[in-house]
Amino acid sequence: MEGKRGSLSQERLLVFMREMLLIRHFEEKVEERFRAGELPGFLHVAIGQEGVAVGVCQAMEDSDVFASTHRAHGHTLARGTHPNEVMAELYGKLEGCSHGYGGSMHLYDIERGNLGANAVVGGGLPGIVGAALSFKLRHEPRVAVAFFGDGATNIGTFHEALNLAQLWKVPAVFVLENNHWAESTPASQQLPIDDLEKRAVAYGMHSAKVDGQDVEAVHRAARRALEYARSGKGPVFLDCETYRLVGHFVGDAQVYRPKGELKELRETQDPIVKLREKLELPDEEFEALDQEAREIAEASVEFAKAGTDPKPEDALKNVYA
Amino acid sequence: MASQVTLPRLGQGMESGTILRWLKSEGDPVEKGEPLYELDTEKVTQEVEAEASGTLLKILVPEGEVAVGKTVAIIGEQGEDVPEVDVEGPAAPAAEAPEPEPEPEPKEPQPQDEAPPAQAPEPAPPAAATNGGRVKASPLARRIARERGIDLAALSGTGPEGRIVAEDVERAAVSPPKAAAAAAAPAPSGEVERVELTSIRRTVARRMTEAWAAPAFQITMSAEMTRAQELRARLVERHPDERPTVTDILTKVCALALMRHREVNALFVGDAVELYPSANIGIAVATERGLVVPVIPGCEARTVAEIAAARADVVTRAREGKLQAADLAGGTFTISNLGMYGVEQFIAVLNPPQAAILAVGAIEDRVVARDGEVVVRPMLTMTLTCDHRTIDGAKAAEFLRTVKEFLEEPGLTL
Amino acid sequence: MAEMSYREAVRDAMSEAMRRDDDVFIMGEDIAEMGGSMGVTQGMLAEFGPERVRNTPISEMALVGAGIGAAMQGMRPIVEIMYEDFTTLAMEQIVNQAAKHRYMSGGQVTVPLTVRTQGGAGWSPGAQHAQQVEAWFVHVPGLKVVFPSTPTDVRGLLWSSIYDDNTVLFFEHRTLYALKEEVPDQLEPIPLGQARVHREGEDVTVIATGRLVHEALGAALEAEKEGVSVEVVDPRTLQPLDEQALVDSVKKTNRCVVAHEAVVRGGFGAEVAAVIQHQAFDWLDAPIERVGAKFAPVPFAPVMENYVIPHGSDVLDAIRRTVGRG
Repeated sequence: MEGKRGSLSQERLLVFMREMLLIRHFEEKVEERFRAGELPGFLHVAIGQEGVAVGVCQAMEDSDVFASTHRAHGHTLARGTHPNEVMAELYGKLEGCSHGYGGSMHLYDIERGNLGANAVVGGGLPGIVGAALSFKLRHEPRVAVAFFGDGATNIGTFHEALNLAQLWKVPAVFVLENNHWAESTPASQQLPIDDLEKRAVAYGMHSAKVDGQDVEAVHRAARRALEYARSGKGPVFLDCETYRLVGHFVGDAQVYRPKGELKELRETQDPIVKLREKLELPDEEFEALDQEAREIAEASVEFAKAGTDPKPEDALKNVYA
Repeated sequence: MASQVTLPRLGQGMESGTILRWLKSEGDPVEKGEPLYELDTEKVTQEVEAEASGTLLKILVPEGEVAVGKTVAIIGEQGEDVPEVDVEGPAAPAAEAPEPEPEPEPKEPQPQDEAPPAQAPEPAPPAAATNGGRVKASPLARRIARERGIDLAALSGTGPEGRIVAEDVERAAVSPPKAAAAAAAPAPSGEVERVELTSIRRTVARRMTEAWAAPAFQITMSAEMTRAQELRARLVERHPDERPTVTDILTKVCALALMRHREVNALFVGDAVELYPSANIGIAVATERGLVVPVIPGCEARTVAEIAAARADVVTRAREGKLQAADLAGGTFTISNLGMYGVEQFIAVLNPPQAAILAVGAIEDRVVARDGEVVVRPMLTMTLTCDHRTIDGAKAAEFLRTVKEFLEEPGLTL
Repeated sequence: MAEMSYREAVRDAMSEAMRRDDDVFIMGEDIAEMGGSMGVTQGMLAEFGPERVRNTPISEMALVGAGIGAAMQGMRPIVEIMYEDFTTLAMEQIVNQAAKHRYMSGGQVTVPLTVRTQGGAGWSPGAQHAQQVEAWFVHVPGLKVVFPSTPTDVRGLLWSSIYDDNTVLFFEHRTLYALKEEVPDQLEPIPLGQARVHREGEDVTVIATGRLVHEALGAALEAEKEGVSVEVVDPRTLQPLDEQALVDSVKKTNRCVVAHEAVVRGGFGAEVAAVIQHQAFDWLDAPIERVGAKFAPVPFAPVMENYVIPHGSDVLDAIRRTVGRG
C-alpha cells in the first residue's frame, strides 16, 4: 500500500485541498438543502471519499473520459464541472450540467469527459471499455476511467467488462472505491474474499492497491495507472481503500453500522484531516481555504435556486437525436 | 335577395327525388354551378348544382323524398333573414309527415346510452328507443349512418353475429330514411322483413307494370356461335385493353340488323310509331340498387371494340351509381343478357316505349344435326319480345333471322 | 440490377459502410473466421481485418456496452447478437444505457449504435433460439426498432440504421436469409419510419412484419381467388412507426389484419391495432384481426412448432373473418 509523502509541490497539494474542501462543503450543503426539502429525488453523498475523486481526477488528462456512479458529485466537481452547474442539476434546472434531465445520479459533462454518472450499479463499466476501444482503434492517446464501488464487483457487467478490456488490452483504468459497504450490506455479507484485487488478477489485469484516504498516494497511483494504459499495455485495476463517513443516502439512519464505528472513522479516516496534517497547514490558512469552499458551495445554491425551470413539455425533447 | 333552391326536374317523367346528403352546410358560401346536394332520382344518383351564388342560409330538407319544384333550401346573403317557406312532405308514398329528425347520436349521452350492454333484464325501453339494447354495428357503418341520418336500429346486419356493416347501411342509404325506416324498425329476426322500395326499385316496378299492359309476343331462335367465338378471340387479341365480349359482338350485330329492319328500331308513342335512324342500344345492368339500362348510342357506327369500351364505362358507372340522366335516355332497343348466370333462355319484359327487347341466354355446347351427322356446337338461344302494336310476327322473325345469320357468319354484315 | 440474398444484402450494407468509413466496425460472437453463426459476415474478416471485424467472448452485456461506449465517442459500431433470444443478456445495457444516455445528459451525447440480431422459428431451434422479441424494444423511448423483410429493404434500412444517430435494434429473420431478389446496383438508403406497400388491394389491409410479410402475400393471392382484394403493408420500421401509411391503407380498405410471428399477447400488432382503432375508428367495418404465435414458448418437435407459429393460412383465415366469411 502506497502512502508516504511523494514528490508533489506544496502548491499542487493545496490545489487538492481546495478541491476536497469544495466537494466536502458542496455535499454538506446538499445534505442540508435536501433536509430542508428543497431537493427532489434522492441523493448519495461521498463524504469521506474525496481523496479518491480528487486524486484520480487530478491525474487525468483533459482528453481522458470517465464514467461515474450514483455517488457522483465528487468526481464531477473534481473534473472541473462548475459547482453552480452541478447544484443547478440537483435542483432540476435547465442550467444544470444535464439540463435537468439527469439529476444527482445522472450528472454528465461531455465537454469535460464525464460520460455520465450511472444509477445502475456496474452499468457504466462496459461503456468505458467501448470508449477505450475507440481510442485504441483511432490510435488516440486517451484513457477511459471507470469509478465503481466494491458492491459493483459482484455484478456481471464488472466481470464482462474487465474480461473484455483485458482481452483487447484497451486503455482503461478501473477505479474501485472500496468503501466496504454495498448500500447497507457490509463486505462480510457480499464478498467471499477480502482482497478484491484478486478479481482483476483473475483476468490477468495489471493492478494496484492504494490508501484512498491519502489523496497524494491516490494521485500517484492513478498517474501510473493512466500512463500504463495510455502506453497501450492494457487496462489497470486500481483498488482504493476508502471510507464512506455518511450513510448510503442522505437521511440514511445507518442502523446497520456498529455503534461508534462512524465516530471513530471520522476521527481517524478523514482525507481532509489527513492532508491537513501532512501539509502541517496553519489553522489560519486552513480556515481561509475552508471559508472559500464554503462560500462557493453557498453561491452554488443561490445560483441553482435562481435557475430556470424546464417547461413540462421539454420532457419530450432529447429522446432521439 | 334570397333565392329558393327548388328541386329541379332532371328528366322526363321525374316527379320526385330523394335527397341523400348535402355537400354544403348551412352558412357555407356557395357559387353558382357548385355541387350542392346529392339527389337520388328514379335511375341515378347525381349531384345537383347551385343555381345561385351566395350563402347557404337554410337547408329545409336535410334528406328524404321531395316533389319536383318544392323548395329544399335558401341561398342568400350572409345575415339575411330567411323567408318563411312552406315545406311540403314527401310527394308520394310516405304516409306520415316527416318529423324533425331525431339526432342519431345525441351530443349529450342519455342515461340509457350509458347503460352497460350486459345489464340484467332490460326495463321496457322508452317509446323512442331502438330495441332498448345496443345496436351492433361497425364503426364505419355508424359513421355512414351518422352522416346520412340513417337509423341503425332499422337495419338488419349481414356481418358476423348480425353486425351491421357498411354495406348494409349503403344499401339502406338509397331508401327513404327516417320516417319510413322507423316504421320498419322493430322487425325482429325470424319475422317478415319489410324492405322499403328504393326509387330505382319503384321505377322498375312502375315501368314493368306499364309494360305488362302492352300486347307482347315472343319468338325464339338459336344461333351457332362457332364463328362469333372465333371472331371474339381475334378481337380480344387485337384489342387487349377493351377485351370485347360476345355481348359486344351481339350488340354490334343487333345494331346492323336493326338498320336493315327499321320497324324493330322503334318506339310506340301512343298515337304513332317512331322509327329511329340510329341504333341506340340499351344494356340491362344489374346493380346493388336495382336494374338500370344505360344506353350506348349509335352502335351501328361503332366498332366492336368501341362498343366494348363504351359498355365497360357505363356498366362501371352503373355499379357505382354514377350514371347521369343522359346515360339512360334515348334508347331504341334493349339487350338483356343472363347468360353469365347459366340461364339457357328466358323471356324479357318490354322496356316501353321501345318496341322490342332481346333476351340472351348462355352459350352452351349442344348436340345438333349438321349434314345428317350428330355434332356438338356452341349454341346461343335468343328470345325477342315485341310490342304487337308496333311489330308483327313476321317482321320480328325476319329481324331475328338476320341476327342469327350475322352471328353464324359475321362476314355477312359486310 | 443484381440478384442478392437477404444475407448478402446485410453483408453488403455493412461492408459498404466499412469501406467508406473507418468509424464503422462490427463486434460479435463467432463473426470473424466463422463468418457468423448465420454466415452473414463471411469474408468480412479477410477484407477488413480483426480490428474491425472483432470476435468477442460470449459476453452480451459487455459487447453491447462496448458498442455504447464507442458510439458515444462518435464511432458507428455494429454489434451482432447471435440470436435475439440473447438480447435478454444485454437488456440492461440496451434499455438503461443505450436508450437513455442522450436523454439523461440533456442532449449532450448521441449513441449511434446498431445492434443487429436475428431469430425466428420454423426450423426447430427450440424455445431459447426461436423467439421474436422485437416488441419489447418498441416499448423503450430512445431506441429505434427496424425489422426488414426483403433483401432490398434489409440493405437500405441497415445502411440508414448504421448512420442513424440513435441506437437501433435491427431484427433479421432467420428464415429469410436465403431469400433472393433483384436489388439496385447502388445501395439505396431507405429512411427509417417509412412503411412499404407490397401489394395494393381494396377490401382488407394486412399489416405484417418479417416472415409474415411473405405469408401475407401468399394469403393475399389465395384471397384474390375468393374475390377478396388484399393490401399488404410492411411497416419495416417499428419505431418510429409510419402511422400515416398504415392508417391511410385501412381508411381505404376498412378492414385490418395485423400479423407477426411473435406471440399475439403484447405483440407489436397490439400497438398497430391501437393506432388503427384510434385513428381510423370511423373507417373500420370489422374488428381488427390479429395473427401471431400461440401463447406458448416455441416448442422443439416440428409438429408442435408448426402448430404454435403462424402461417399464411392463419392470415387467410383472418382475412376471411374480416369480410364476414370466417
